[in-house]
Amino acid sequence: MAAGPAPPPGRPRAQMPHLRKMERVVVSMQDPDQGVKMRSQRLLVTVIPHAVTGSDVVQWLAQKFCVSEEEALHLGTVLVQHGYIYPLRDPRSLMLRPDETPYRFQTPYFWTSTLWPAAELDYAIYLAKKNIRKRGTLVDYEKDCYDRLHKKINHAWDLVLMQAREQLRAAKQRRKGDRLVIACQEQTYWLVNRPPPGAPNVLEQGPGRGSCAASRVLMIEYFRKALGRTRVKSSVCLEAYLSFCGQRGPHDPLVSGCLPSNPWISDNDAYWVMNAPTVAAPTKLRVERWGFSFRELLEDPMGRAHFMDFLGKEFSGENLSFWEACEELRYGTQAQVPTLVDAVYEQFLAPGAARWVNIDSRTMEQTLERLRQPHRYVLDDAQLHIYMLMKKDSYPRFLKSDMYKGLLAEAGIPLETKRRVFPFTWRPRHSSPSPALLPTPVEPTAACGPGGGDGVA
Amino acid sequence: MAREECKALLDGLNKTTACYHHLVLTVGGSADSQNLRQELQKTRQKAQELAVSTCARLTAVLRDRSLAADERAEFERLWVAFSGCLDLLEADMRRSLELGAAFPLHAPRRPLVRTGVAGASSGVAARALSTRSLRLEAEGDFDVADLRELEREVLQVGEMIDNMEMKVNVPRWTVQARQAAGAELLSTVSAGPSSVVSLQERGGGCDPRKALAAILFGAVLLAAVALAVCVAKLS
Repeated sequence: MAAGPAPPPGRPRAQMPHLRKMERVVVSMQDPDQGVKMRSQRLLVTVIPHAVTGSDVVQWLAQKFCVSEEEALHLGTVLVQHGYIYPLRDPRSLMLRPDETPYRFQTPYFWTSTLWPAAELDYAIYLAKKNIRKRGTLVDYEKDCYDRLHKKINHAWDLVLMQAREQLRAAKQRRKGDRLVIACQEQTYWLVNRPPPGAPNVLEQGPGRGSCAASRVLMIEYFRKALGRTRVKSSVCLEAYLSFCGQRGPHDPLVSGCLPSNPWISDNDAYWVMNAPTVAAPTKLRVERWGFSFRELLEDPMGRAHFMDFLGKEFSGENLSFWEACEELRYGTQAQVPTLVDAVYEQFLAPGAARWVNIDSRTMEQTLERLRQPHRYVLDDAQLHIYMLMKKDSYPRFLKSDMYKGLLAEAGIPLETKRRVFPFTWRPRHSSPSPALLPTPVEPTAACGPGGGDGVA
Repeated sequence: MAREECKALLDGLNKTTACYHHLVLTVGGSADSQNLRQELQKTRQKAQELAVSTCARLTAVLRDRSLAADERAEFERLWVAFSGCLDLLEADMRRSLELGAAFPLHAPRRPLVRTGVAGASSGVAARALSTRSLRLEAEGDFDVADLRELEREVLQVGEMIDNMEMKVNVPRWTVQARQAAGAELLSTVSAGPSSVVSLQERGGGCDPRKALAAILFGAVLLAAVALAVCVAKLS
């Protein structure tokens, strides 16, 4: 039906789970023994079977799910609004009345749970069919839609009219009762998928929940908590943001260019080699970055190694080792958690341990308490304490130390690869022929090369 | 002439696609049966044959570079209608595959939905195959093999559409439809006033009757006036 791609068959229909549940309810209603009681609808001459009354539906739902009548009525209304059941007397108002009004089930082709797209072309064919049947008297909003579609898919309009006429002729081959039923089914489908203005669009909003006092109390609580959250003024945030950008600007390869040269353009990967995680001589920019914040220093493997050397000279290397062990515990596998916790305790926390870390007494007590039931986050408080200690104490000393100043002086700025003067000695900028490039002929550049060289020389 | 031939093929495909759509609507409902599945199979095979021949003719014509501009425009219009029709057919085939798999008849997993459609659809299938009547007797496990074939055919039609787009490039925005909005009301092949009356509207058919009454009254008045004049002249 749709003039568009169908969804791939393997995709699980996880969207809109309420539609699948509704489908299951409708299918269980069809059971010949335990389903809803069916009656026949009698029009002037024709008799059409399989009609149900609203009260039957409500009672069946109340019995099957053991809910109150009000809840069953709400559930039935949701089914009608999504087009699984449609009213026979007043097709435009999709609601369930718990009395003798007759309803009928929708055919599976038009079920909403299939999530087949209701395309513009199909809607245009439906409106054209309706136009033919009613000889030009469409409802207002349908007339608007018709005119808009005529402009929008004008190229397919011949197909629209051909299909509309043929579908009507095909429908004439059926009995009158079947024709009526199929027309009602299609009308309901389009009322659900293209609701008239003012009617709720169930496909976008989803089923409404029954009114419930408890949910409102929860909502009030949520909003009260939201009001009490601390806020930062945007002037403060933006200043911090500006200072961040100013500090990092020279370090960003996209903003300030990268030396020796951008590997993506010049096909020279010296940049990556020089900035590898573990390299003997880090570049100057990298060493400068270690001074921005403690986190930068710890995240860089070379920075961490130099910091460990520095701490070793100050005889407080166990702090960093403890921090590293805690990181390993947090991000390691679940299986090694107990053994790792024991190892950390033996090495760092036990009184008289070989590398005892200096944690304040309250944190130490709490940690030792929690070590009885080890999990990966038991050492979080201790780790944070040691981290803040290193940050406040050792890190500023490291930045002022001779070691760091020596590293800064040693680190070099890589030279930019020189661009040669004569055009014909340039290295080709694009070494691999990309299919996206237009095939620029090589001859003109070679031809103007010597000419350019002659012009310069 | 090539144009008439293409137009005739396209009309045939259009008719078969419309009938196929009409038959797929009832799959899974109370009118679903092995006979219906067999009718679906015959209809879609006819549709595919027509599609292949139309595709071949139209591709041959459009790849011919020595075509006049207005003729080319005409054929491009036919091409756009043909590709739209083929998209509709493919979508309907996919949907019938999903529905047929969800409602298997041979070993039914769930009961058929009681939709109120009870009659036979052999008339529609006969129209699709352009025969006078159709009498089919399908075996009890027809739908099992049919689903496998349907899957293959869906893939074939998808491939055909892809090949079409590769071979001929007709931008959709350059095609102008011939028929204006509301053109369907001018034709006299519209469905008769009594055939698809929906349940609530009854007063829609009054206008032609009123017009007829007015004409009759006018004719009677004219006759009376003419008689009066004759009487006046005679006397």
